[in-house]
Amino acid sequence: MSGEPALTTIQRMTAEPVIRAAGAGKVFRSWKRRPGLAGIALDFVRRERTDVVALQEIDLAITPGEFVGLIGANGAGKTTLVKCLTGITPVTSGSASMFGQDSFHLRDEHKRRIAIVMGQRSQLWWDLPAIDSFHLLREIYQVPRADFEVRVRESAERLSVADKLGRQLRQLSLGERMKMEIVGAFLHAPDVVFLDEPTIGLDLVSRETIRRYLAQINRSRGVTIVLTSHDMEDIEETCRRLLILREGRMIFDGDLVGLKARVYERRAIEVHLEPASRAWEPELAARIAEFGAVLERSAPLSLVFSVPAPDVQRFVPRLFELFAVRDLTIERHPLELLIRQIFQGAEPHRKAPGE
Amino acid sequence: MSEALNVGASRLARDARLLRTAWAYELRKVTTWRVGFVVREVMRGVWRPLVMIFVYRALLAGESRSIGGYDADGFARYLILAAAFEKLLFHQRGLDLADQVFRGYVTKYLVMPVRFYVLALARFAQHLTIQGGVAAALWCAGAWLAPEFWPHPVSALAFAQALVLVLLGSYCYFLVCFLVNTLAFWLDVVWTLFAMTSFVFSFVAGVLVPVSIMPDALREAFQWCFPYWAVCAPVELFLGRLDPSAFPRGVLVLLVSIALLELARGELWRRGLARYVGAGM
Repeated sequence: MSGEPALTTIQRMTAEPVIRAAGAGKVFRSWKRRPGLAGIALDFVRRERTDVVALQEIDLAITPGEFVGLIGANGAGKTTLVKCLTGITPVTSGSASMFGQDSFHLRDEHKRRIAIVMGQRSQLWWDLPAIDSFHLLREIYQVPRADFEVRVRESAERLSVADKLGRQLRQLSLGERMKMEIVGAFLHAPDVVFLDEPTIGLDLVSRETIRRYLAQINRSRGVTIVLTSHDMEDIEETCRRLLILREGRMIFDGDLVGLKARVYERRAIEVHLEPASRAWEPELAARIAEFGAVLERSAPLSLVFSVPAPDVQRFVPRLFELFAVRDLTIERHPLELLIRQIFQGAEPHRKAPGE
Repeated sequence: MSEALNVGASRLARDARLLRTAWAYELRKVTTWRVGFVVREVMRGVWRPLVMIFVYRALLAGESRSIGGYDADGFARYLILAAAFEKLLFHQRGLDLADQVFRGYVTKYLVMPVRFYVLALARFAQHLTIQGGVAAALWCAGAWLAPEFWPHPVSALAFAQALVLVLLGSYCYFLVCFLVNTLAFWLDVVWTLFAMTSFVFSFVAGVLVPVSIMPDALREAFQWCFPYWAVCAPVELFLGRLDPSAFPRGVLVLLVSIALLELARGELWRRGLARYVGAGM
């Protein structure tokens, strides 16, 4: 597996997208529940339908070998987008395609090039050792036996679960089970892999092992990976491109390196105040504005400011003038803070497809 | 034309290989827990005939009378055979498709290059393998312990005819289970439906009372239903109570039932899946 060539940067840039969405939207029909006892009776006799907009106007093009992070708050439409792109559910407007084919009508030869790991829905049987389920997957994907043996061994060794292949899945830890899911997902050497929250609930070491494995297989084999996660460390350490969804809309599609550069442009200054200090007042905003500083968080005895890096030296003395400072810390502006701003609409950025 | 045939043949061969692997996988699943295996697979269906034997013995106690040509021993032999054949019929517990639909586990198969029905068929194959073995073992044990009393086939032909009818009937039961499970795409009462209908199926099949001693109108009506040909008719062929000339009619009823159930299965699955993916489960 490791011997197979990866795509070069130029090949990636000139290659046709493997995943494409153009104006993709998804509307679910649902039932409206009326409150109270009268509502129960009314709903039993006649229910009211309502449309839930899960995705709107999604434009997206992912080329072979990309490692894309997909984030968004709960209910933002991440899983729905993955389902539309993989053809699990059809879009209700626009289009979604993979390998140039309408996603909802993928043929078996295209399905053989996809894998999906859904954190909540195991593809392995609880009461059996993972290796038994792998044999079934081998038959489903028609993997030659020799390739199967090599891939299972290599993946299991890299994910540190080689000695657990023969143990019942229920006897494995959460991290080991997820690693087995990942071994299973890569058995048929897919070209595109979707991972939905693969590190949720895992310890630091397991998360690190999984990230390293994914990054390595993306580099060495040129596998296109779309990773959904709430853990910004997962995204920062693996992805080169970030997609952010909010309320079904793509509000950010851009280079994670560029985003990180914006992070390095600013510093977060956390100030701890003496009990006798004056508290934060809205009119103070004007007095810090000249430094480009903004208040990010405030608590009774602590304040967090975001300040452009070059202005930090001038801004700190102003803090001592305004407050009775007990101590302060200056840190790189956390990426999470920036992402939160993007979620909240304070930092809108939208990239046209192919930009 | 020949290319289409080749594609069809290659797909069939692929499905057959997958069926074999999935069958082995299902066998592993069902035998993982030994106590569970004994209780669920061996002992299931054993207690009801034992109770019914006592019921018939009590009904006919002290008198040398019979009902419809069955005396107490005759009923016992009938019930033993009916229980053995009933074990071969696909059981609703063998398919958890409704649970998979409710929990959204069907989703993972939608991105796999696989016909889901092949995986379900593996359950059927596993059921026949396990229950065939268990029924044969129980029958042999009985024949060894009580050779005079135990029911024996009147001829090799009767045995073969009975077996063919039971196997076709078992597939009908499997299709019915699949169909009812498919209703889970719309309804949340799948197990209630099974509970409501299983007694009716047992009655029509003659599991509790031989159909041949029922009133003429019922008997006539039941002979057009596949459950009768899956249990009662094979038992009576085996015991020589039903003429072997009835066999073709039984095969016909079962094959027509299979054809109709297959059509319904395909249509319901297609519509159910469309609803399932539309709801984004």
